[in-house]
Amino acid sequence: MAQEGIRPAIRPPRLHVPGLVWALPVYAFLVIFIVFPLVRLFQDAVTTEGGAFTLAYLRDFLTDGFYHRALLNSLLVAGGTVVGCTLLGFLAAFLLVRYDFPGRRLFSYLTILPIIMPPLVGIMGLVFVLGRAGTVNVLLMDYLGLRRPVNFIYGWHGVLLAMILHYFPLVTLNVTDALSKLDASLEEAAEAMGAVRLRKVRDIVLPLVTPGFISGTTLVFILAFADFATPLVVGVQNLIASQAYLNIVQFVDRRLFKMGIVIGALMALLAILFLLIARRIVTAREYAVLSYRAVERQALRGPARWLAPLFFTVVLLLAFLPYLGVTLAAFGRAWSLTPFPEHWTLQNLDQVIHLTPVFVLNTLRWSLLAVVIILAVGVPLGWVLARTTLPGRGLMDAIVTLVLALPGTAIGIAYIRAFHFPLPWVGVVLTRLWIIMPLVLAVRRMPYTVRATFASLLTVHRSMEESAASVGASGLRIFADITFPVIWRGVLAGALFSLMFALQEAAATILLVLPGWETMTVGIFTYYTSGTFGQAAALGFVLILICATTLFVIYRLIGARMGGLFGSGGG
Amino acid sequence: MRVRLDGVVKRFKAQAVLAGVSLLIEDGEFFTLLGPSGCGKTTTLRIIAGFYDPDEGTVFFDEVPQNGVPPAQRGIGIVFQNYALWPHMTVEGNVAYGLKLKRMPDADVRRRVAAALDQVGLSGLERRTPGQLSGGQQQRVAVARALVLNPRVLLLDEPLSNLDAKVRARLRSEIRRLQQDLRITTIYVTHDQEEAMVLSDRIAVMDAGAILQIGTPVELYEQPASLFVADFVGTSNLLPGDIVASRDGIADVRTAAGIVRGTAAGTLGPGTPVMVAVRPENVRLADSTGLDTTLPGTVALTQYLGSLIRYEVETSGGIVLRVDVDPHRHVRLAPGAPVRVGFSSTSAQVFTKES
Repeated sequence: MAQEGIRPAIRPPRLHVPGLVWALPVYAFLVIFIVFPLVRLFQDAVTTEGGAFTLAYLRDFLTDGFYHRALLNSLLVAGGTVVGCTLLGFLAAFLLVRYDFPGRRLFSYLTILPIIMPPLVGIMGLVFVLGRAGTVNVLLMDYLGLRRPVNFIYGWHGVLLAMILHYFPLVTLNVTDALSKLDASLEEAAEAMGAVRLRKVRDIVLPLVTPGFISGTTLVFILAFADFATPLVVGVQNLIASQAYLNIVQFVDRRLFKMGIVIGALMALLAILFLLIARRIVTAREYAVLSYRAVERQALRGPARWLAPLFFTVVLLLAFLPYLGVTLAAFGRAWSLTPFPEHWTLQNLDQVIHLTPVFVLNTLRWSLLAVVIILAVGVPLGWVLARTTLPGRGLMDAIVTLVLALPGTAIGIAYIRAFHFPLPWVGVVLTRLWIIMPLVLAVRRMPYTVRATFASLLTVHRSMEESAASVGASGLRIFADITFPVIWRGVLAGALFSLMFALQEAAATILLVLPGWETMTVGIFTYYTSGTFGQAAALGFVLILICATTLFVIYRLIGARMGGLFGSGGG
Repeated sequence: MRVRLDGVVKRFKAQAVLAGVSLLIEDGEFFTLLGPSGCGKTTTLRIIAGFYDPDEGTVFFDEVPQNGVPPAQRGIGIVFQNYALWPHMTVEGNVAYGLKLKRMPDADVRRRVAAALDQVGLSGLERRTPGQLSGGQQQRVAVARALVLNPRVLLLDEPLSNLDAKVRARLRSEIRRLQQDLRITTIYVTHDQEEAMVLSDRIAVMDAGAILQIGTPVELYEQPASLFVADFVGTSNLLPGDIVASRDGIADVRTAAGIVRGTAAGTLGPGTPVMVAVRPENVRLADSTGLDTTLPGTVALTQYLGSLIRYEVETSGGIVLRVDVDPHRHVRLAPGAPVRVGFSSTSAQVFTKES
């Protein structure tokens, strides 16, 4: 605007393109690759092979006692995970935000690490350590004379243990975020009236951290509900997500396959439902409170001073057990019936990196391509959400939040149904083209980049750009000189988060993979289920290494301010 | 209730924020802690409230030591700078909370809350949440919430600093009237000297963790004990210079504008660096007689403020003096007009630099 004011005679008036035209490609991407497959999935659940409307499949599902139990089991597992994560996550968040004790800073860094462990690798590592012939059981039998191995993880308790240890940082992150935003005077006002300790926490603190807590636990609930790999590894099959997976990957029984679609649709529907409920709770209780002064951290005294680090040590040791197991198995040769491998080897690593590098190469290829797509679509989308008043913004925002919650299995199934036909006009079948892999990864992991861009843009106050415009900077110049220098860290960190979770993707890709496209997670699953534990572990080790490196770079970029990226409450 | 602080010292991380504060606040008094940010005024208030314990010294309420007594048992009511209303409770819920903690019967709670809200003129807004109220209304809720427990002392921490000027002025008088009606000992923290002057029975001016002067608004304004107080309370013209001669409380000071005569505490040796402080309203345009000091200058700026005209007169040496005159008894001067300004020695105070 301003540059036109300065040299009106020299510069011809610009052709004015409505903002919506710029935004259309982005909108189209979301509609084609998210909305359309979902619609297709829902449609498939209620139509016959011939295309006629029918409720028969739904009735089949609803009247089958087996699926009833599976659904109930899934809800129970997800609920149990939420309860466990709440206990661990709340305690961890309170200790980290409100108290000071030896090792606090270190623990606050370490606490987030379990989420970056790819779930599949996590449960595999846990089996190596806590399984029937795992380190702990062998030690117990050799040294304490136990006759039979203790069943630490096979069964429901194992599923819960693995999920809680994996997901509790999501609650910690969200509650930490909410707690540190509370103004100290809110609590002091209550103290001055005699509300102390638990009373104050109950009446003042808990209600005010509820929104953050709900967005964290909703995500945990949905993720636990949708996780099919963890239960399968510890021998639990009658869960809804596991059934969806098993029904889809078998191509023998058409009825079962259709049932897989119905379950996929149901899971997507439930995720949407959970999200809506969470939204309702959160928006009804979200308060814009300006924090003037953070609550002062109190130094813990007496036994508590040592109990707090002990708590973190125990939880983190448990959470890090999988890393230990995977490393041992990756470098151990012929490891069996001993607590630790007796011989060490680089063979497994050599195998997966050098002899059959296809898994690693594919994962890197798909994930990096996905990040390119994410940057091309997600950054403009973040801009549209943060900086414009274009119509359709609210809807796009809702879609992005929805994607964060949609089970990978549901997306995988939706893609199989939606893109297994020649596309109109172009005639290609997307599911037969390798581009489907980076595409589905991009869709799944885009929300992190969109949110990071959105949040970064909010820190660039409009007046900063306006003052640049007022001294004559053009639109592009403003972006390069003012906006970009402020937002690039945040955007890059978001993109790296997208990358990290793309590397770990194990649900949608497993369903879409064709021979030659296999990713590391597919490789791990195949190696593990075929009993080639060493190579599965080696792949897991490499994956952890790549993810840890990515996380380290993120830390260097933005420090520990990543709470906002993991909530389901939006914004 | 009387509040007494005796040699209160507070350190944060080995740095002394309060370096020995002693004061006595009488029963029913409106007492203000005034000072720039970081002077320790809020820390003092928080020590009185009981949020901090002093590292040294004692807080007495009616001569009963309060150190170690938690805030809720001191009988205080406190209003925070940002009001600290609980956003998840209604107006009624906020005010009623303290009463409910005391397990008061519901009927009594309702009656007391209604009375408190009526007192601050908020009847009818019981069901609103803080987010639905204007800044001024939120502030009143905070006051009602503090008063409903019948505290022995009311503590106010910059309660008006987030409001716009009009609302601030109105609430200022309401707070004063409320305090007069209730006769409640009130301790008020502010950095706004005008607010302090309007509200207070007495004011303690603080800087760098110490009390510089305690007095009524009139005393502080007319007899500032130090350069800091003279500068902070009201407006002062400050002329740096050094002593030429000083005798019997009268000092002649050489400044860049010329020799000026003022009142000094005690006798100062020739050459002592000093600062002469004169209030703008005490500077006369030199058509008047009986002035000890007159200086030539030119009008640099004219500000018409309605009830007064303020001139900025540039004297020799580049020293600018602000001069307030009554617009009704004066012909207005244009910028550039030559003028003589002057003041009597009784209205010019001479301070050594460190006082």
